[in-house]
Amino acid sequence: MAKIQYPNPKFWKAKDNIDWKKQGANLKEVMGIFGEMLKETDWQAFGKGVVDTLKADGERIKGEYRDFMALDNAGKLDRILNGERSLGRLYRKGAMATVRREWRGVKDTAYDFWEWARMWGMLLMTFSKDLIPAMNSALWYRWMISYFCCHGFMDKNIMGLRGSNLRMSHEVTYQIFRYVAENLVFLSKADRKNGNSTELNKMLFTFDEMTMGQIAAGFPDLLAIPHQLLPMFLVSEIDQLVCIPYIDAVESYGLPSDTCPVPSSECGALVIDALPDMGSLFISSSMPCDGSTMASSYFARRFPDIPVFHLCFPVRYLDDENTVQMAAEDIKACIKAIEDATGAKWSWDAYFTAMKRFNHETDLELQKWEINKSARPQFIGPSYELFRKWNYEMDGGIDPRVIPSMEKVNKMLLKAYENGETAWPERKMKYRGIVWSCPAHYYANFSNWLANCWGINILVEMESLNFTKHLETEDKEEALRDLARLYERMVMRRHTNGGYQNVVDECWRQVEAWNAPLVIMYQNVACKNMATVQGLLDEQGRQRGYDLIWVEHDLMDPRTVSRRTMRDKVNEYMRTVKHAEPVDPSLVEFEDEVCM
Amino acid sequence: MKDLKHLIYFERLLENADNELVEKAKAEGGICLGYTCFHIPEVLLNVGNCFSTRLRAPNTGSIDIATYYMSNYTCEYARALLERAIEGGYQFLDALIGVDACSMMNRSMEHFEILKVNSNPKFFVTHCDMPFKITDYTVAGYVRQMEAHVLSQLHDVFGVDVSDEAIRAAVAEHNEMCRVISEIREMRKADNPVITGYEFHLINLVSYVCPTKLILPYLKETLEELKKRKPDRKSPFRARVAIVGSEIDDPNLTKLIEDVGALVVSDRYCFGSTPGREVIELKDDEPALPQICRHYMEVSECARYISDEKVLQRRETADRLAKEFNAEGIIYEQMKYCDYWGFERALVSHIMHDEYGWPVLSIDRLYNNGNSGQLRTRVQAFVESLEIKRIHKEGGKA
Repeated sequence: MAKIQYPNPKFWKAKDNIDWKKQGANLKEVMGIFGEMLKETDWQAFGKGVVDTLKADGERIKGEYRDFMALDNAGKLDRILNGERSLGRLYRKGAMATVRREWRGVKDTAYDFWEWARMWGMLLMTFSKDLIPAMNSALWYRWMISYFCCHGFMDKNIMGLRGSNLRMSHEVTYQIFRYVAENLVFLSKADRKNGNSTELNKMLFTFDEMTMGQIAAGFPDLLAIPHQLLPMFLVSEIDQLVCIPYIDAVESYGLPSDTCPVPSSECGALVIDALPDMGSLFISSSMPCDGSTMASSYFARRFPDIPVFHLCFPVRYLDDENTVQMAAEDIKACIKAIEDATGAKWSWDAYFTAMKRFNHETDLELQKWEINKSARPQFIGPSYELFRKWNYEMDGGIDPRVIPSMEKVNKMLLKAYENGETAWPERKMKYRGIVWSCPAHYYANFSNWLANCWGINILVEMESLNFTKHLETEDKEEALRDLARLYERMVMRRHTNGGYQNVVDECWRQVEAWNAPLVIMYQNVACKNMATVQGLLDEQGRQRGYDLIWVEHDLMDPRTVSRRTMRDKVNEYMRTVKHAEPVDPSLVEFEDEVCM
Repeated sequence: MKDLKHLIYFERLLENADNELVEKAKAEGGICLGYTCFHIPEVLLNVGNCFSTRLRAPNTGSIDIATYYMSNYTCEYARALLERAIEGGYQFLDALIGVDACSMMNRSMEHFEILKVNSNPKFFVTHCDMPFKITDYTVAGYVRQMEAHVLSQLHDVFGVDVSDEAIRAAVAEHNEMCRVISEIREMRKADNPVITGYEFHLINLVSYVCPTKLILPYLKETLEELKKRKPDRKSPFRARVAIVGSEIDDPNLTKLIEDVGALVVSDRYCFGSTPGREVIELKDDEPALPQICRHYMEVSECARYISDEKVLQRRETADRLAKEFNAEGIIYEQMKYCDYWGFERALVSHIMHDEYGWPVLSIDRLYNNGNSGQLRTRVQAFVESLEIKRIHKEGGKA
């Protein structure tokens, strides 16, 4: 069997047309900024900061040594074999990353370092395929710098994990990082400010990050990149502070500060020209909310030479018979727009092949749900949640390399279940919970913290619970209608659009299905779709006797609600309502204001 | 100028959603259909023995209960309606025809259902899906929505005649009213108009909230009165402005603007006359419904339409109206927390200034603004800037 070549090799081979004069001018400007920064730096304070950090490290090492030596022999052996217990000591006030990697016991730490090295290897190999534009992006866009911290993000998401859950988390994280790395290289090659590859731009169309990627499955010769995903949304989950300059830019421009930070960041980046100029066509969308819908006019203004197709799906999607045909027609029109812009032809064979894979991936996902609904959930935590979202929304069966990886994970999952493992070390499995509303767990590492600090196990989040019906893979007209149904139920939109039943009644249904009477009710202060059912959720939740812990946040703008404030809401509830004791007291209070 | 004969009466009609003419129409056996959004063709709610009333919550005070349900970061108009509904203020409605166009208004209407705010046994709330752009298939989708969620429901629940003839009759009556309003609106183009922005606001608003058949005689009489009305020898206003933006059903906002010296000459906002008071031209060789749907889609200036041509249309309309009505500046406004107009206002207020050359005042505002000192100060400053510009244009001759 021939080795599957994905992504299409001609994307890598596309010739760059770098305008060196432009790069020189940009370099001069960047150097000017660096020069000013160096001049403005208080070197005395900087030196003191370095000395203080070294002293703090020394104190920390001494403290850790003392604590270890204070243990009896059994305790020492336990630490060596099973890892550390006080994870709060990994944080230090003023530090942008954790002070060191976690000790997970001999076996798991070794495995963790192997995965750490494997990830580095993949990143270096991928970026080396066209290194100059990729690295040059760092001189054009400040968000690119935050990607250098992606290993820190990985560490954060697996904090406290051991055994099979750790292994599965690493496996899925690798899949996401590979997608990100490859697309960052392509994005840099195509960007007319940077790699300026005319050849690649002819083969490239981009789409709004709030649109699903499945439509690209019918164009195997084309590259499709979610335009703002890498520069905005995903990187903000690595570094919550990265979007602040963009939010400030658009608010200075006149946008009210009560809007969702996702479209605000996108528009801010457009206002100050911080998004790549790439592709032959941009597909905007009406999803998932009013704010996101409006961001497209900012795009059209920044990039007037890139044609825009507005892919608009019915909001009231449960009225399927009356609305789905209009949505299917719009997909047809979108396909034609892509064909017109790129000269490529839609391939039903390629589309059906990818959707068969997607259907199989859906089956594998449902298998995970079955296990996680049981008394012994196996694969939970932020890595899994992020993977589910990415796989459903962006990959969508297109990348054939994902299937073997998912199969491998499910094999581990079943084995772990049969062996009686638990997703977290036993002492952390105290409460079964689900997450509802716009989640902020990546920014704040929240579901991970909930388990490590209070033993609250988040079994599933709202955004994972999407369309699970198999997509049609034979009848072409029905296939388009099915694709429309899928898009109508994209992440977020599945619940926040189409009627309150999708988010209120559905919440209680899921609480029952997962046997999870504790709900982390994320309250994004700027999400109007969710804010407008706040009273109903509160009222009905209390009537049903569930524990609803309301956690306010503002996604990628921690100035509105800090991570510490978010944690305090849970601390307060657990102490005063549940009269609970923390599993790891070192995580109840710690400083992470500037920590990614 | 001499006061208009029916001005006080119009003000009184606007003091309650359940006004005297609504009561009268109901007493005569009319079916009262509430709606809020321009996306619902007003004429379809006036077929047979139905009549429409565009919902307002005049004299809104506390909205605490609605805020509990919908939080404090959401549209005050949507919350004010819910609050009034919970208080029992919309008990007179026979049905509420809603759209899922903006999420906050949609949620407000969903609460009407969930909280059972209306005890009429036949009362229902319906939610229609609205397209985001105009194509053959979105027009067809819109028509299907109107058939399924408006006409069929009216027929099934109340036995209303929703035939093509009945729809055409409703359009004829609607057009008669639009012609009257349009003729009055044209008077605003004069250098020293015989009607103020506030007066026009009242006249236009009563046409939305009262049964057409009952308000029409008053409108006609007012038109005749205006034709004979003599303007003041010298206009008391210092500048002329056009207003563009989101929902305004509070005439006190226009009053506030005019009190500081800016005559409002054009009203391009929801509840305004553009769009809303254009005559609907129907051909005989096609059913009325698709023609009506197409008309509403084409004249709509809602920021929710995101296709390129509609985005451009909104800017061109603002420019055209400001020119036609001899405005010197444009006030871009949005209801606070309105996402659609928040994004639109921020961007287009720059575009209208930078590309179209208009002086622009960009504001976000609450639902009720009659006493806003901050807003008054901002409009005052804008009026002064327009005066200074005029002086510069005239070569410094004050």
